[in-house]
Amino acid sequence: MSSTKIQIRGQPLSKVLTRNHGMINSVVCGVPIKRHHRVSNVLRTSDPPLGSVPTRTDESQFLRGDGNGRFGRFGGKFVPETLISPLRDLEDEFNFVLNDHEFQEELTTALRDYVGRETPLYFAGRLTEHYKNISQTTGGGPEIYLKREDLSHCGSHKINNALGQAMIARRLGCKRVVAATGAGQHGVATAAACAKFSMECTVFMGTADIEKQSSNVLSMKLLGAQVKSVEGTFKDASSEAIRNWVGNLETTYYLSGTVVGPHPSPLMVREFQSVIGKETRRQAKQLWGGKPDVLVACVGSGSNALGLFHEFLGDEDVRLVGVEAAGLGLDSGKHSATLAVGDVGVYHGSMSYLLQDDQGQILKPHSIGVGLEYPGVGPEISFLKESGRSEFYTATDQEAVQACMLLSRLEGIIPALEASHALAFLDKLVPTLRDGAKVVVNCSGRGDKDLDTLIQRGMPSSLC
Amino acid sequence: MATSGTASTFRPSISASSRSTHLRSSPFKAPSFNPLPPSRSRSFSVSCTIAKDPTFLMAEAENTKAAGSDPTTWKRPDSFGRFGKFGGKYVPETLMHALSELETAFYSLATDEDFQRELAGILKDYVGRESPLYFAERLTEHYRRENGEGPLIYLKREDLNHTGAHKINNAVAQALLAKRLAGQHGVATATVCARFGLQCIIYMGAQDMERQALNVFRMRLLGAEVRGVHSGTATLKDATSEAIRDWVTNVETTHYILGSVAGPHPYPMMVRDFHAVIGKETRRQAMEKWGGKPDVLVACVGGGSNAMGLFHEFVDDTEVRMIGVEAAGFGLDSGKHAATLTKGDVGVLHGAMSYLLQDDDGQIIEPHSISAGLDYPGVGPEHSFLKDMGRAEYYSVTDEEALEAFKRVSRLEGIIPALETSHALAHLEKLCPTLPDGARVVLNFSGRGDKDVQTAIKYLEV
Repeated sequence: MSSTKIQIRGQPLSKVLTRNHGMINSVVCGVPIKRHHRVSNVLRTSDPPLGSVPTRTDESQFLRGDGNGRFGRFGGKFVPETLISPLRDLEDEFNFVLNDHEFQEELTTALRDYVGRETPLYFAGRLTEHYKNISQTTGGGPEIYLKREDLSHCGSHKINNALGQAMIARRLGCKRVVAATGAGQHGVATAAACAKFSMECTVFMGTADIEKQSSNVLSMKLLGAQVKSVEGTFKDASSEAIRNWVGNLETTYYLSGTVVGPHPSPLMVREFQSVIGKETRRQAKQLWGGKPDVLVACVGSGSNALGLFHEFLGDEDVRLVGVEAAGLGLDSGKHSATLAVGDVGVYHGSMSYLLQDDQGQILKPHSIGVGLEYPGVGPEISFLKESGRSEFYTATDQEAVQACMLLSRLEGIIPALEASHALAFLDKLVPTLRDGAKVVVNCSGRGDKDLDTLIQRGMPSSLC
Repeated sequence: MATSGTASTFRPSISASSRSTHLRSSPFKAPSFNPLPPSRSRSFSVSCTIAKDPTFLMAEAENTKAAGSDPTTWKRPDSFGRFGKFGGKYVPETLMHALSELETAFYSLATDEDFQRELAGILKDYVGRESPLYFAERLTEHYRRENGEGPLIYLKREDLNHTGAHKINNAVAQALLAKRLAGQHGVATATVCARFGLQCIIYMGAQDMERQALNVFRMRLLGAEVRGVHSGTATLKDATSEAIRDWVTNVETTHYILGSVAGPHPYPMMVRDFHAVIGKETRRQAMEKWGGKPDVLVACVGGGSNAMGLFHEFVDDTEVRMIGVEAAGFGLDSGKHAATLTKGDVGVLHGAMSYLLQDDDGQIIEPHSISAGLDYPGVGPEHSFLKDMGRAEYYSVTDEEALEAFKRVSRLEGIIPALETSHALAHLEKLCPTLPDGARVVLNFSGRGDKDVQTAIKYLEV
């Protein structure tokens, strides 16, 4: 789908499928939606938490979009008419489950026993020491903690969201789930969740990505999913997946992997990922009796970053730092640094920053971290940038690879190349922090999937 | 000491009872070291030769039954490191001191609060324990019989550990121990050496290096030096021998991190105790989940470490059935398998007396299994003991059956098991129809299968 710089809302996009008019009913996956839970945009009551999923501690204007899924001027629902109803019903269903005791308990149990939560908040002693030695100061230096999403089932944070949404899909009576994946992590997580809940699964993946992440493709197939290749990369796979969903609305659930897309996707995905930040708050309290000073996360579309940040949006004393992919350098034209050099436009159903040329055509992104290779970014992330609540920087391919190798050598943890971007930024960040500052980096995935890429890059001779 | 959610890390198991009526009375003299197992024509004070004599076997069985059917009286191991007639310390003189030192250090750690606290912290924050005890709903449904009855299947999720298998439990503990001693297992070892800043050398059979190229890269990425071994059949048993040779040469400065419950005393005991956290967590989780104990424990057996890790806690609970599943490779009659306890004979390998796959001349038979982790011609001495005592039952599963289970569990539960673990999962097909309604089975899900995806795809139509 192409887009212009600013698009007038409601204007039909070209290349949209025409649908037969039978689809105007408020039906998702052929199941009529009960209306009793249609509470307008109240995301949760102020009751104490159900099960052990902790609720937010503060209510501020940052915490939710408005009724139309807007975060400031970003977000929204730029979709053809046919999708407005299903999206509204999805939103209703989501609002319902947020307060449904049974759902929350099942989700909590699955997160604990199936995914392996809570993930540890690990003090990276040797990494901390490394930065102390470089800086050669007499003080203690900042302390670096890693939020170990790499230990989750399937090896990344993606499963938190895939599980929650698969449960919603099941409630809606959908037999079939479609998804699009870049690095393959979301695809694998979706395939796993669908296997667990016995649903059919079709994953769309760009041909370029299939080549780079072949072991993830094999995993998806083993888990019983069908993998369909799409010419191009993640953005093209996304478009194809959405087309497939629109063409099969009666039976199919579109499981979005990240915080982009039309409302309620950004909200839903962020909510499911926010368990990361909630756990972090509790663990920080236990470990040092306080809050983190700085949170650092890589930003592709923004799901792991929002998952960590969201809990702390209301805590002004907690700095939020996102790191995008600068690929071969911001001047090279081969990068995915949407917030650094992009402009505002509408893409995949929502208004946000995107990498576009003067004619509003989407630019092809690049990053060695395939999961960061997206020319857009979540609307909530755009809002956080514009409001100044979060800071965003970039790291190149080279810097990411070096950071990956450093963590492997110092801590025995091989991080995903995506997460390595966040780790790479520590080089610039740490010297600016005071002694004893607590830095929490979201180690959003493990790097087993990237070994082939790393082998190709070659290792410095000092390591062999 | 232990933070919430983590079992107390380990307690070296010293048998309470001083009675040892089931042991043979002959004093135990370690013969001089010979890298190859002794041929059966030699005479020993502890007999492999006599094992073939049926009349003796009957007498011994009587002895065993009369004195040894109460597990609480068993010494696991005794002060010589023997489990019944198995185990021991068949090593050259140069290693005796190192082994004694290791043993002393290990026992002292039981009361060392700092060590326990540090280990508990690492297991929790670095490894990611405790691992969940997961109720496998769709697998349970798969085994439900027509009348609606069937067992309940729980998976102990060691696959969720850092590095993807149970191996890390032992590796972190031994690395911590090594630091104090002023050395799906290579990756775990390289990992912990990186973490603790220790120089790491890993010996690997040249053939295995080819089969596991990605793991070799991982080890190097983690900073370890990987040395290929070309002698013999260039597989695990040769690499082990080479590692032991290196250790003998450098015993003053080097700690040998043995990956399984094999080898000379105190390794079988130590490695078991470091893995025992698996069983301890399971006991507590079972109590929480259903207010009782498991009815059946199932685990795959290569060297035997994950199985001992799960079983050890429950050996004294005689109502808990323990089942080990070995690799039958191409079939038990094909000669290409690794079913040591089913088809092996007693002998000495890598410093311990145990069952092993040997030919009539006492030469080690090259084992085969599609899963590298089960591809070992020996087995830990404690397993040999548990088998002979009848406390644990051992079966085997072919490559093909394991691959089927690999696919089945991936599809039913969305968890890709390691090919090793798949052997245990495959055995459920035979086991479950025999179990009463509501019997609770805990299977040790010892590792994740990401490493096996390429191999499996070759065989499976996906």
